[in-house]
Amino acid sequence: MKIVLKGGRILDPSQDLDVIGSVVLENDQIAEIGTKVDERGADELYDCTGCWITPGLVDIHVHLREPGYSHKETIITGTQAAAAGGFTTIACMPNTDPPLDNPALIDFLLDQSSSPEAGGVFVAPIGALTQEMKGERPSDFAALKRAGVVAASDDAFPLQNSAVMQRCMELCRQVDLPVATHCEDQSLTMGASMNEGAMSAVLGLRGMPRTAEEIHVARNCLLSFETGCPLHILHVSTWGSVAIIEQAKDLGAPVTAEVCPHHFSLIDDQMPPFDTHWKMNPPLRTKLDVETLISALAAGIIDCIATDHAPHARHEKDVPFEQAPFGIVGLETAVGVTLTHLTHKGLLSPLETVRKLSTRPAEIYRLDAGTLKPGRTPVAQVAVIDPDLEWTFDVNKTFSKGKNSPYHGCVFKGKTMLTFSGGEVYRDQHWDKRPQVQNA
Amino acid sequence: MRLIGIREMDVDQIENLIAFSLRLKAACRNGGELPSLHGKSVGMLFLEDSTRTRVGFEQAALRLGLHTTSFGMQGSSMSKGESLKDTVLTLKSEGIDGLVMRHKCSGAAMLAADLFEGPVINAGDGMHEHPTQALADAMTIIENRDSVAGLVVAIVGDALHSRVARSNIWSLTKLGAEVRLVGPKTLLPKFPAGLPVEICHDLHSGIQGADVVMALRLQKERMTSGLISSTGEFASLYQINSRALRFAKPDCIVMHPGPINRGIEIDDATADGSQSVITQQVENGVYVRMAAFAYVFGLNGEQQRKSKARSRAS
Ligand SMILES: [Zn+2]
Repeated sequence: MKIVLKGGRILDPSQDLDVIGSVVLENDQIAEIGTKVDERGADELYDCTGCWITPGLVDIHVHLREPGYSHKETIITGTQAAAAGGFTTIACMPNTDPPLDNPALIDFLLDQSSSPEAGGVFVAPIGALTQEMKGERPSDFAALKRAGVVAASDDAFPLQNSAVMQRCMELCRQVDLPVATHCEDQSLTMGASMNEGAMSAVLGLRGMPRTAEEIHVARNCLLSFETGCPLHILHVSTWGSVAIIEQAKDLGAPVTAEVCPHHFSLIDDQMPPFDTHWKMNPPLRTKLDVETLISALAAGIIDCIATDHAPHARHEKDVPFEQAPFGIVGLETAVGVTLTHLTHKGLLSPLETVRKLSTRPAEIYRLDAGTLKPGRTPVAQVAVIDPDLEWTFDVNKTFSKGKNSPYHGCVFKGKTMLTFSGGEVYRDQHWDKRPQVQNA
Repeated sequence: MRLIGIREMDVDQIENLIAFSLRLKAACRNGGELPSLHGKSVGMLFLEDSTRTRVGFEQAALRLGLHTTSFGMQGSSMSKGESLKDTVLTLKSEGIDGLVMRHKCSGAAMLAADLFEGPVINAGDGMHEHPTQALADAMTIIENRDSVAGLVVAIVGDALHSRVARSNIWSLTKLGAEVRLVGPKTLLPKFPAGLPVEICHDLHSGIQGADVVMALRLQKERMTSGLISSTGEFASLYQINSRALRFAKPDCIVMHPGPINRGIEIDDATADGSQSVITQQVENGVYVRMAAFAYVFGLNGEQQRKSKARSRAS
């Protein structure tokens, strides 16, 4: 089987490549990439004129909900949503029921995700930082790592006890496993459901102060510096967190950080009153935070973009705001939001955009992904993105089971057209509407 | 129609509702004609403790010939885990014509109204709004001062957690008053930019020159959660009493939306004193709730269907 992706803009940050050219996939591997490739004998030829050809995108913050919450999402629907978004590798969070705190569950997850229905999307599991995610005893990190976890995390149940966090980092350092933390001092956020600001004051909702996040960003950075444990800060949302992360990096602490598309494209004041599809944790902040997050991403202080894809069932969000669960879906809007809000505004170059969505996140968890170099990924992982396609996001037409998105009805510029992962191909409905040149 | 929050109402709507309430008050007192909602039913969905407000609505319903059915948390299907959505949809299917809702969560009344798609009155949602209380307060001020425009109103105490304060802020400023929130930093919004108020942490400067001083109830919970050091300390700094009132205008009126903690946010003598209009607020609450029922059921001041006030009450 020979597939030729012809005449697109090849963007591969792993080799600082930004050229017009073609990519040849042969027997599920990348065979050739360049301006002059051998098209002869191609079984399929895709005219990629006007499109980007990039390494398959990588999302290192996804909630797949299985086991335990398959009414919100399953491994299959989650991976299908990923493929539709251009993602060929995703890392999934351990806050399932039971939580991913032992090798047997990791085996189950890897087994499920390698089923043919999963669209060839690679799932890299993140293990629970503490047993049963109770915040008390550290997990067996050596066993988890042998089973295939790429990091350990307390996401959804942020560790309040600093001593436990310190011990977890010591132990993870010992087996060289990155620790990913949701930074929130929950004594400051009791009963709160949105950013503490002008809007929370108007709506009469208890506010989450920015300091609740920043205190734990600072604490975890200090513990990372002390223990030498690689620390990944999840979903940074405030300018204060950015300042602390920058300082930690300057000190030489092995710290990385991610930002979610909603945190750089929406602010708390824009929320329609009590719309639970705008409720997530950390909450949407302010204009100053958005500006700071974007410049920090461009400067590399924040390393990458991750979605924190957090599907919930409709009935779970159809409740009073304060009672609704936190989280929104993100896999199928990430490219649209990022290109619309960053790339087309000139805040991030196309090559840097792909770096933040693919190459850099793969490096953070040391995944075999995020590159078009032949032989560097288990199978060919490629995304074809039309950066100029304008489209309206309809949450009812997504692959994810979760319909909890604040972007329903939004017009975006930029969409994933094709996703290749090994022999699996996702093809967007817009692709067939493109004017096609001659097939081979 | 729905009555969810004063913030989303325009000045005309607010003024009409108050004028209507004043006419209803006069009609009730002189045995005049009242609008009739006879044959209509309303579900009283009180999912948070409240006696005063519920009684006020029941009284108002009675005078209009409205049939009420009460639902509390206990004994209802919600205690068996039914969601608010299902409860509201069930009441709708059962043919209930309207809803009055009290809920501990901000925004719950809006959610219920979106689902019910019929007449809904918010009887207090979390820390968000309590529109009928604010209308009763504005009506009381108008009875004592003719107009709200140009007045200085000091709202003293726990405005952060108060839906009454939020609704009053919107109604009074829309009617042209200047509103000040007075209290300790921990009980006032930290980011008040979205609210048309002035923030004051010192009682004396806060009520300086005020035409209206409104004390808010201090929940005991504020002390246990550490927002203030003690009720005694709060009282010494923010209690409305004769000493404090020396700084307000000599003829200022004193209000309290109730229930009162005597000796904490207001002292006995002031609550019962000549400047207090607290009982008038309670009485006006009934007329405002009558007007609110008529409003959400689509009857305006020019009622189509009239009946004698007395004939039905018997
Ligand atoms: Zn999180």
